[in-house]
Amino acid sequence: MMRIGAEELQERRAAGLSRVLITGGTGFLGSHIAAALLKAGCRVTILARSSKRLPARDRVGRLADWFGLEPAARERLTVAEGDILDPGWVVEAMNGTPALGRVDEIVHCASDTSFSERKRPEVEAANIGGLRNVLDLAARSACSFFHHVSTAFVAGARDGLCREEWVESGPFTNVYEETKARGEIQARDICRREGIRLSVYRPSIVYGDSRTGRTLRFNALYYPVKAAVLLRDIYASDIRERGGAKAAAMGVRTDPDGRVHLPIRIEVGPQGGLNLVPIDHCVEVFMALREECLGGGIFHIANSRPKRIEDIVGYAERYFGIRGIEACGAEAFETRPRNALERLYDSHLEAYRPYMQDLRTYEIRNSAPALAKRGLACPEFNEDVFRRCMAFAVEAGWGTRLFPA
Amino acid sequence: MPKIDRSAAATAAQCRHYAMCKIDYLATGLCPSGPEKHFVTYYPQGRMDLYRGLAEGRVPVTEALLDAADTCTLCGICDGQCHFVTGMQPTSVMRALKDAVEEHRREKGEIVRPAEDETLRRLRAIVGRDWASNDPAVLWTYADDPFPLAGPQLPLYVVLPGSRDEVAAIVRLANERDLPYAVRGNGGSVFGFVFTDGIVLDMNRMRGIEIDLPNFCAAAEPGVTSFELQQEAFRHGLRINAAEPAATVCGNIVCTGTFSTWSNVYGTAADNFIDMEFVGRDGRVFRLNDKAAPNHFAFEHRVAPSPGICTKAFVKLHPTTADEEGLLVPFEGFDEAVRFARELGQRRIGLAVAVLGAHYIAGFLSPDETLAQDLKAALPEALGVNYMVFLTGDSHAREAVRKMSPAVIDADLLRTLMLGLPKLVEPQWLELVRGYQGQERPYELLCRPEMRPLVEAALQPSPETASSCVPETLRPLYRELYRRPEMTDMVWLNMHRIVSARMSRRKHMFAFLVYLPPDNPAVIHEILDGFAGVARSHGIDHDFGFLTPMDLGKRAILEYDYYVDHTDPAEREKIARALPELDPWLDRLAERVPGVMSLKYVFSQGCSRKDGFLYRV
Ligand SMILES: NC(=O)c1ccc[n+]([C@@H]2O[C@H](COP(=O)([O-])OP(=O)(O)OC[C@H]3O[C@@H](n4cnc5c(N)ncnc54)[C@H](OP(=O)(O)O)[C@@H]3O)[C@@H](O)[C@H]2O)c1
Ligand code: SF4
Repeated sequence: MMRIGAEELQERRAAGLSRVLITGGTGFLGSHIAAALLKAGCRVTILARSSKRLPARDRVGRLADWFGLEPAARERLTVAEGDILDPGWVVEAMNGTPALGRVDEIVHCASDTSFSERKRPEVEAANIGGLRNVLDLAARSACSFFHHVSTAFVAGARDGLCREEWVESGPFTNVYEETKARGEIQARDICRREGIRLSVYRPSIVYGDSRTGRTLRFNALYYPVKAAVLLRDIYASDIRERGGAKAAAMGVRTDPDGRVHLPIRIEVGPQGGLNLVPIDHCVEVFMALREECLGGGIFHIANSRPKRIEDIVGYAERYFGIRGIEACGAEAFETRPRNALERLYDSHLEAYRPYMQDLRTYEIRNSAPALAKRGLACPEFNEDVFRRCMAFAVEAGWGTRLFPA
Repeated sequence: MPKIDRSAAATAAQCRHYAMCKIDYLATGLCPSGPEKHFVTYYPQGRMDLYRGLAEGRVPVTEALLDAADTCTLCGICDGQCHFVTGMQPTSVMRALKDAVEEHRREKGEIVRPAEDETLRRLRAIVGRDWASNDPAVLWTYADDPFPLAGPQLPLYVVLPGSRDEVAAIVRLANERDLPYAVRGNGGSVFGFVFTDGIVLDMNRMRGIEIDLPNFCAAAEPGVTSFELQQEAFRHGLRINAAEPAATVCGNIVCTGTFSTWSNVYGTAADNFIDMEFVGRDGRVFRLNDKAAPNHFAFEHRVAPSPGICTKAFVKLHPTTADEEGLLVPFEGFDEAVRFARELGQRRIGLAVAVLGAHYIAGFLSPDETLAQDLKAALPEALGVNYMVFLTGDSHAREAVRKMSPAVIDADLLRTLMLGLPKLVEPQWLELVRGYQGQERPYELLCRPEMRPLVEAALQPSPETASSCVPETLRPLYRELYRRPEMTDMVWLNMHRIVSARMSRRKHMFAFLVYLPPDNPAVIHEILDGFAGVARSHGIDHDFGFLTPMDLGKRAILEYDYYVDHTDPAEREKIARALPELDPWLDRLAERVPGVMSLKYVFSQGCSRKDGFLYRV
């Protein structure tokens, strides 16, 4: 398969001829990247699955509304229905899904992002097998540039500086990290063999838009906050409406100023924090690298200033009228074991724990020139940003009211 | 013809003939005219049919129709009874019926009064004047059921015998006059077997129950329902293997033999009775245990006629212990659930045992259909539960089960879930569970004992919470019901089977039952796929029902259900096309695999020994 060179790709891009296929375009990162590409004048095909309630096309349409896409941008958008797990799809796509047309670039965002070991079969299927199918499609098409969205956490269970290099082996914290690392190697090998340019993007933890607070996902950063707010609501209503016996049994009370006292200790280490990147920055970096780094490469998209859990707890307590949540060292639990509230809260944090006291730092070298050229720097996650994001989360019912009914 | 209220007529047409308005299963009392007049015409079900008949122009206004309308006091009892299982509220129909009758009177419309003929005169001579009728409105209420594949069949007479000897006399009269006859246990059947153009015998007046404690035996006359006999057994601290609550005990035994989740320990068919009394086709009375009686204990592999009219069943009573409770063991996969249930059977752990799908569980627990649908979606999606093994057992059995599978929903947690159900399906709570990324399955977390206080705080379990999902007017009743401990007690609910009647709340239901070898997953899947495939190809709603191990886990009974709106001609068409595909397929399977047997072949042979149809030697 003859693939076009960098120059020709640039020409096709400039002439508005090139088409980008995005997998995972109904997901958080994928939809934001798709919207940015469309707004920048690209022609985009989104590969999407139908859900139980909505056909693929409507799912994408709903997102287009959410992003406020102009009619002209929508005209450049096509939807191809398919599941990356289905190898037949690749063949079908190749044999003339008319919507697909000639694909110059693929942005691969589709992924199973579950951490838990019991989901291993599904996670492996999506992140290894599914990726393989997409790479097969790339190999058999005219695709000349493969953009692989991975994660900073391919670095695995370790401390210190993580370089923008291939990770050949573990140990890994969970099945997600492991399969994402294996996926990168798979992408590298196939793209090398096929002469396809490859960029690997490794964001850390992505949250909503730092300027507007808008987001499509309420996991990671949001999840522990959402859990605390739900507990607040459960006990506040117990106190308000039913005399508060259940709250009292858990040591929950309302203080005179109306704030709810939730006695929950969260175990944190002495160092490290949460490495948070807002989606706006993540997308801007992606767009910059796609344009500036035609030779491909590995790029971390991370924050050089991780956030301490204590700070986030403080933001959350103030914003949501809560008191009593305390970040403690492990020794605190030896003298006084966890109560039911803490065990519940803890079991919800369990999967996120390695990322809450992340001792890794992520080298940002390969992208530095492009970022400097465009004046891009990762915004700090401060209390203002937190408040914007949470205001949106509450308005969107933590995801239950994202779209009009 | 009186003016018809279309919405009331539509409700009337939806009556499932489940006859739940003929038993006082909510302890709210019965429709006042029913127990006095006994004809189904005077129960809410009969009045629903009368209104449907008026709306469709199929019944004239007759004396009995006027009387049925007039004797309705609009007390509202049937609203609760009917809503509990079907979600409908019949009093709007009752009001419309009374209005129609009023209007007819005002307009001085014709009132049909059929003359007494010779047969009716002789029937009345046997049973007494009041207990035989040829009034077209009465006949209409015995002419039809929601089985969509047969049209109404009007009998000539309906007669309500009061004793065995009267039954025998009626049979002799029918033989003499060459009239066909059919017996209706409780004025309701869902498979269209109880119709005739001759005489219908309604057994509603024969309601005697005698408890014989030293013999662990309950003798029931043919008008006694399963619910009523169970209630009586329960009063004595005992239990029967009961059929659907409104089904008559005699009718059920004769028809398919009683099977239930309790068949795990109590068996089925001949296991359930000590003896049976019949009036044979020649009008002679015999007992099954008589050596000279025809051998109905032997099973014949063909559709066979019943032994006659059962006039008394001597049903086995089983002892109970005070420490019995229910348990639900959640599973993600079907095969593991079946394996678990079979193991319980093999190891003789527990009493009632069944594998239930999300559909059944949600339907049983929810007093409202919308809530049931939400729960059905939430169980797999948010909690990771696709199936549950339900069992009842004493404390030893429950301890054993906990050792086999630590995550269980015990009686206490189930009560909390039932009383807090509307809160359980609230979106923000489900979102949180859905996002849970831990190593445990979400339901394992829910089942952890230390989570109990939190679950209770979140769900606010109370009769008020539980009843918040039903229509305003019914909330006081539901609050009252939920205050009663038995309404959240899995043992009581399951042995009286009142919530399982909710299965056809969504639509009329066709239940297909197949005996099978539960140690053969390939065959089970072939059966499930077969039912699902046929349903899908005809666009019919369908779902797995339940599976109960039997005979020490060597066999099991599986139910698969099709759902059709019997009032929609297009849906009737679908089922009419689908049904003929099932029989040959099941027959071939039964031929090939020992232990596979469609319940269809057991029809009318419910008195036989189960070994005759479970095994083939
Ligand atoms: N969010 C973060 O904080 C973060 C951080 C670092 C890296 N990443 C990486 O970014 C990428 C996207 O993550 P995200 O947060 O956007 O996840 P997401 O919102 O869960 O989106 C995942 C996308 O993948 C699609 N997908 C999954 N399995 C598929 C299949 N078999 N066939 C077709 N599509 C399939 C999903 O489609 P459906 O909508 O149909 O399910 C969805 O569009 C992933 O590679 C992830 O590793 C994310
Ligand atoms: S409302 Fe009428 S039909 Fe219903 S229970 Fe009362 S008397 Fe019977």
